[in-house]
Amino acid sequence: MASSFTFLNESGPLEFHNPRSPAGLWALRAWSRFGSGGMSSKKKIAVEEGLWTNPSIPGEKPHLIGSKCLSCGELYFPRKKKGLCIHCQKRALEDVLLSGKGKIVSFSVVVQPPAGGFYKGPVPYAYGAVELPEGVELFSLFTGNLDGLQVGMQVEMVIEKLFDDEEGNEITTYKFIPTRIN
Amino acid sequence: MKPMNQMRGVAVAGIGLMRWKRYADQEIYDFGSEAILNALNDAGMEWKEIQTAFCGSVYQGTGSGHQVIKEIGMTGIPIVNVENACSSGASAFRLAYQSIAAEIYDIVLAVGFEKMPRGPIPSTAFRPYELKMGFNFQPANYANETVRYMTETGATVEDFSRVTVKNRKNGALNPNAFFQAPVSFEEVMNSRVVATPLRLLHCCPTCDGAAAIILCSKNKLKSTTNRITVAASVLASGVYGGVNPVKSVKFPPPFDIVEFSAKQAYEISGYGPEDMNVVQAYDTMAPSELWNLEKLGFCKKGEVLKLLSDGDLDIHGKLPVNTDGGLLSRGHPLGATAAAQICEIVLQLRGEAGPRQVTGARIGLAHARGAGPNSAVTILKR
Repeated sequence: MASSFTFLNESGPLEFHNPRSPAGLWALRAWSRFGSGGMSSKKKIAVEEGLWTNPSIPGEKPHLIGSKCLSCGELYFPRKKKGLCIHCQKRALEDVLLSGKGKIVSFSVVVQPPAGGFYKGPVPYAYGAVELPEGVELFSLFTGNLDGLQVGMQVEMVIEKLFDDEEGNEITTYKFIPTRIN
Repeated sequence: MKPMNQMRGVAVAGIGLMRWKRYADQEIYDFGSEAILNALNDAGMEWKEIQTAFCGSVYQGTGSGHQVIKEIGMTGIPIVNVENACSSGASAFRLAYQSIAAEIYDIVLAVGFEKMPRGPIPSTAFRPYELKMGFNFQPANYANETVRYMTETGATVEDFSRVTVKNRKNGALNPNAFFQAPVSFEEVMNSRVVATPLRLLHCCPTCDGAAAIILCSKNKLKSTTNRITVAASVLASGVYGGVNPVKSVKFPPPFDIVEFSAKQAYEISGYGPEDMNVVQAYDTMAPSELWNLEKLGFCKKGEVLKLLSDGDLDIHGKLPVNTDGGLLSRGHPLGATAAAQICEIVLQLRGEAGPRQVTGARIGLAHARGAGPNSAVTILKR
């Protein structure tokens, strides 16, 4: 099977390298390196590698990385590392870049930190379900005016700080922010 | 696969409850063994008659059922620990039921117990990045499901507050409940926000507790008057596309697992929702009682709001729900909760529920929904 990295957007797919191929892996690592804050001692570290791209071209937006099943068409975020479609059980997944825009399906503003001490971000914080136009729903943190969040609101993906770790590095994550209405 | 209703009949010989609270000075083996001894006493049976034990818990660590049973006496019987999140107690009950129905054993113990960590439940059923992003706040996950439900049905926060008021009123009649005082509508509406739109009193309290049930083949029943039998004991786990709160857009679930588990329970038992005299519907958060009643088939989506406002869900209403106070009053020690729901149905069918007795209850249903996801439906009859 020809490996490819499909960019889903409204004007049709664009082909990229498969990040599982050596060249693709190199490209993903390069993205991560370019996004890591250069020579400064304070590094930007993704909350988990492989959730989104860090573009090397200035002005190009980062994209969430998902998987698409070539057999049944199902879409996943995050990407399925095993390459197995959990809907049809075929090993026919390819990596795709997801569009950065969607709408809020549900949300909640949380006013106390969750148990376990895993979450080190700001409180209050908000998270919920976002549906992307290509037909995938995912969970995301929200940013911007949390009091103004509404079901059905158009949102777009941004990479932002989640928290500063003990070494002073900035741990980053994807979030969705309500789109400004002009 | 042999249909369960073609297998041997199974009876509930005894139940054992104890006061649910926060026990700083007791461990699970202290109050877990108390519940088992209460069940033995209720059944009129000796410990040495128990042939196997299924022990439900979530956070209690290695061999927790063994630790509890050591307080009574190890007899060489197989002890199996069952972790199935909030459905653990019902899952232990189902395994006990199946082992008797299949004629492997005649007298079996199902028990659930939990000493809860303080504060919100530290669920570990999340990926590392999800934990770091704070997605493990269960009230917020329920809040997301609640927002969907409100969008689809027009339900309001006021409706959820009425559920809390009803269940706290029932809990005030239950000497084993964690909360034994009623609350006013205003108190619920003025309690602090936890995760919008849910307020503190829309969320069940966690606490410590245990509940035990002894099941047996009908010929082993000691009591000639208390003859409660199991009409159905069903467990359904998740289905593709419907793993709440995120759902598949392209392939939505063909059915909801609560609907699916209820449908199976009705088919096996030969009863329908209209036959149920008393119901324990899973109310981990006040709104979940409402959508679970709809999914269990008691009415169409959105119609439960009228049943609630008309008082039909009250103890003396047409469809009494969570007569012992539900999770909102009784409290939520994860492994014990679903077992206690079954115990309440037993008390109601025996006519032993005291001031919260539903007059003439003959058939009842207990429902536990939990992380995984799981949905367990148990139907008992007199």
